[in-house]
Amino acid sequence: MLIADAGTRRRAHVPSRLGRSIRRNLTAYGFLCAALACFAVFAWYPMVRTFILSFQQTNLIDPPTWVGLDNFRTVVDDPAFGEAWLNTLEFTVLALLCGYVVPFGIAIVLNELRHARAYLRFVVYLPVMLPPIVSVLMFRWFFDPGPGLFNQILGVVGIPPLAWLDSTSTALISLVIVSTWMNLGSGTLIYLAALQNIPGELYEAAELDGAGVWRRIRHVTIPQTKLILLLMLMLQIVATMQVFIEPFMLTLGGPENATLTVAYLMYQYAFVYGGNYGAGGALGLMLMIVLLAFAAVQLRLNRQDRP
Amino acid sequence: MQSNRRALALLLIAGLAGPTACGTSSTPAAKTTEAGKVTIKVSCQPAKSDPRNRKVWDDDVAAFQKLHPNVTVESTDQQPCFDPKTFGPKLAGGQMETVFRVPVTNTQDVISKGQALDISGLTGEVKNFADFSPAVMAPYSAGGKVYGIPTSTYSVGLVYNRKLFTQAGLDPNMPPKTWAEVREAAKKIAGIGAGFVGYGEYSGGNTGGWHFNQAIYGRGGEMVTPDGKQAAFNSPEGKAVLQFLKDLRWSDNSTGTKLLVGWESLMQAMGSGKTGMMLGAPDVVPDLVNKFGGQIADYGIAPFPEAKASLSGGEGFMINPKATPEEAKAGLQWVDFYWTTPGQGAFNYERAKTIGNPVGLPNNSLFGDSPSGKKIAELQKQHATLPVENFSPFVEGSAAVPPKLEPPKAQELYAILDVAMSAVLSRKDADVDKLLTDAESKANAVLAKS
Amino acid sequence: MTTRTIISPLQLGSRWGKRVYWIVLVTVLVTFTLAFVFPLYWMITGAMKTGEEIAQMPPTFFPANPSLDAFLEAWELFDIGTLLRNTGVYALGAWAFTMVIDVTAAFALSKLRPMFGGLILGAMLATLMIPPMVVLIPLYVTVVDLGLLNTPWAIWFPAAVNGFNIFLLKRFFDSIPRELLEAAEIDGAGAARVLWSVVLPVSRPILGVVSIFTVVNVFRDFVYPFLVLSDSDKMTVSVGLSQTAGQVTQNAIMGGLVIASIPTVIVFFLFQRHIMAGLTAGSIKG
Repeated sequence: MLIADAGTRRRAHVPSRLGRSIRRNLTAYGFLCAALACFAVFAWYPMVRTFILSFQQTNLIDPPTWVGLDNFRTVVDDPAFGEAWLNTLEFTVLALLCGYVVPFGIAIVLNELRHARAYLRFVVYLPVMLPPIVSVLMFRWFFDPGPGLFNQILGVVGIPPLAWLDSTSTALISLVIVSTWMNLGSGTLIYLAALQNIPGELYEAAELDGAGVWRRIRHVTIPQTKLILLLMLMLQIVATMQVFIEPFMLTLGGPENATLTVAYLMYQYAFVYGGNYGAGGALGLMLMIVLLAFAAVQLRLNRQDRP
Repeated sequence: MQSNRRALALLLIAGLAGPTACGTSSTPAAKTTEAGKVTIKVSCQPAKSDPRNRKVWDDDVAAFQKLHPNVTVESTDQQPCFDPKTFGPKLAGGQMETVFRVPVTNTQDVISKGQALDISGLTGEVKNFADFSPAVMAPYSAGGKVYGIPTSTYSVGLVYNRKLFTQAGLDPNMPPKTWAEVREAAKKIAGIGAGFVGYGEYSGGNTGGWHFNQAIYGRGGEMVTPDGKQAAFNSPEGKAVLQFLKDLRWSDNSTGTKLLVGWESLMQAMGSGKTGMMLGAPDVVPDLVNKFGGQIADYGIAPFPEAKASLSGGEGFMINPKATPEEAKAGLQWVDFYWTTPGQGAFNYERAKTIGNPVGLPNNSLFGDSPSGKKIAELQKQHATLPVENFSPFVEGSAAVPPKLEPPKAQELYAILDVAMSAVLSRKDADVDKLLTDAESKANAVLAKS
Repeated sequence: MTTRTIISPLQLGSRWGKRVYWIVLVTVLVTFTLAFVFPLYWMITGAMKTGEEIAQMPPTFFPANPSLDAFLEAWELFDIGTLLRNTGVYALGAWAFTMVIDVTAAFALSKLRPMFGGLILGAMLATLMIPPMVVLIPLYVTVVDLGLLNTPWAIWFPAAVNGFNIFLLKRFFDSIPRELLEAAEIDGAGAARVLWSVVLPVSRPILGVVSIFTVVNVFRDFVYPFLVLSDSDKMTVSVGLSQTAGQVTQNAIMGGLVIASIPTVIVFFLFQRHIMAGLTAGSIKG
């Protein structure tokens, strides 16, 4: 209140640029205040807290103690550490193949179609609107080796049943299927919007040069959507590397740790092995660094590519 | 000018209200109201889907509050009232009830992490505290201090479906006594038809390792060396556990094709009436009936085949470390009132019978031969609704089996052994020796720390 | 509408082109329907089958005796009424918090341009680079420290902490012509007034988009609410379903899933155009 008064009074007497600037800033920070406070408490501080936590031992009841690099040692020495990273990478690569390349292809095809466009867009985005828990539990039933939908379909076609979630060779790919099904729609629609912004003349020109369909895609479509493609690649990597709900609800990391992901291991430290928040934080920090490195590389490439 | 000032003032208020609301709206979980008034939160109220038992619980809460007018009891009805998925987060978040349920498998972990209150000075609130046998109290004590009150204790046996035994041409009164007989029976039950499983076993979410532990103890093996520094499960007994499952899965195809991950999975399979046998304590039976749709008359319990020792199971209650002395006292009074007094609350067999609960399961050796134990046994016999003779082999067969506690770092070891369990149940070419050697080296790495 | 795409209209118009086009169209229609609609059909009809029928091999395509019992059973067992009410309250609060906090902040950053405004915006957008799973544990610990577990505040405050919303709103505000604001300022309107009577009325489309995403996210979110809402009568629909799903029959689970999907699917039906516009407006959000 006082500040507000001071601000207005000063303006009344000294309508200087400085005064106006101070007043504008005060108003602006007045508006920003709530957002700053909330971001500070629920976004920035937790980021800092990741660091703090990884060097502490705490049960959240007694005061925490500093333990240096102990948590990192625990995490790195854990036999599951390597497995979790490998699985996460494998999942990310597979999910990118399905979740990055496929939507782009679908978007190209959809963009060529002249009928049923609204229906197709609606249908492809429908799974994105379902709560993920619904999709995951639905697929859990589809994957059931006995009466599950997938083995039934295989049976109709005459293929022997698969173990899906219950075999080391198919468990991870099963998770990729769920994940792709849930998320395919948003990528597709984003690409579709980007495709619609490509000027038609470019294709005409390419056609006059005698470029076939494939070369038109390579030399017009892809360069024209490059920015969005790069951005999506980064976002997809970040999104898939933190995969959690699929293993958490479907496999609990098994069989034989085949679906143990970094995020799931983190959760295990903190909430299954009786509250090892320090180790969970340390692993989270590692994941964060890896992802930030990805983002940095991406941004750099992005910048270099710009004309 | 006027509107300017008003707008600014408004904004400042709005802006300041934000951060204060963000920063200070913390409401302490524990609430001690006016002088002498105590409010406690207690867990394990039956769910809304079980109205009969819920009503009985609510009646008892009312009766207890009448007896202790200064105490208000708030019940939580999360089911199962010990849920490994939420136990950690709740404990860490101070969301644990004043009186919370802990399975005997987790007590030492909870105590060592400072997550339970030392109640050594308050044990008098539980009137028959002296009747607990020292062996039963051991998991709830550490360093000469008491941290919890046991409410049930079990040894592991073989839970089986009597109806399926009959259907498969087996005698339900002659459950298998050896592993070879278990295998034979499983084969016959699986032979009933598609979808029938002879012997169900866990393979993930730490339950696989947990049942491996039950099985290896039963066969006389060890999980860790006596000093607790090294794994000891890569032994003939450990190999036998895995080889047995592998044979059932791949030679006989009697364990089903689906991996069972997480506690509910096997319970669901067993409750659906298409699974013949599983390792389990008697407390499995009421869960099968009340939560998983099983028929009480279908289930029988046999002693653990060729038992040498038994992983102790059971549950107890502990007090939230943040509770005030008054809250702790009221909490223990509640435990005494509902959970440990013969003829009252959980041991009110007369009432249990009238509302249709199964009475007569060999649910406890909590009090042994003490006066409380005798009283409970007598009441149970008096109001039994089940053919108690079906369970007497288990009671007699298990009495001589020495109970054995979980190894240190049990959850970590279970996660490691999940790998071996899921391997033999999901891969035909699983190499038992290699699986155990791998698990051993992983376990050694985990055990070396601490 | 018919802008030039990869294939030229000429090619499409040819006899050969027409044939290929129709084959592709039919293939796409059938594949998409099978891939994205059939699972939902299977889920809904699964809930209408009896326990035996749902486990039957081979399965029936139509339920033999369609029944709504599983939905009723699911409603009771999952206590979906409570769950939906909770989620509704969380969504409403999250929406209100987002509107007040994010709109004011975006307005300040866009139109008042304070010192360090760029830095603040950058710091807010940076939170988008940090995947939620990574800060899950520290965020949880913070919520514990503040004593917000099992309270609506634990959902409401973090809902407003959304760099993407700020980005969307700021970008939209940036596009509002200065003259419009200056005219109001000359009339003596303060910043709050400008926001309320000039900026907000023209920002309806973006406010709609932000509102829809905020509400839908509360329904979709799982891991964070799973940790901070552990009381069974405080849970959201997603959390409640995951908790009870292991303990009920298969057709009751399916019934529960169908009921739980209804709110977001209705939102999608009603606001399809806004949602798709919002999705492409920022071209991010994975």
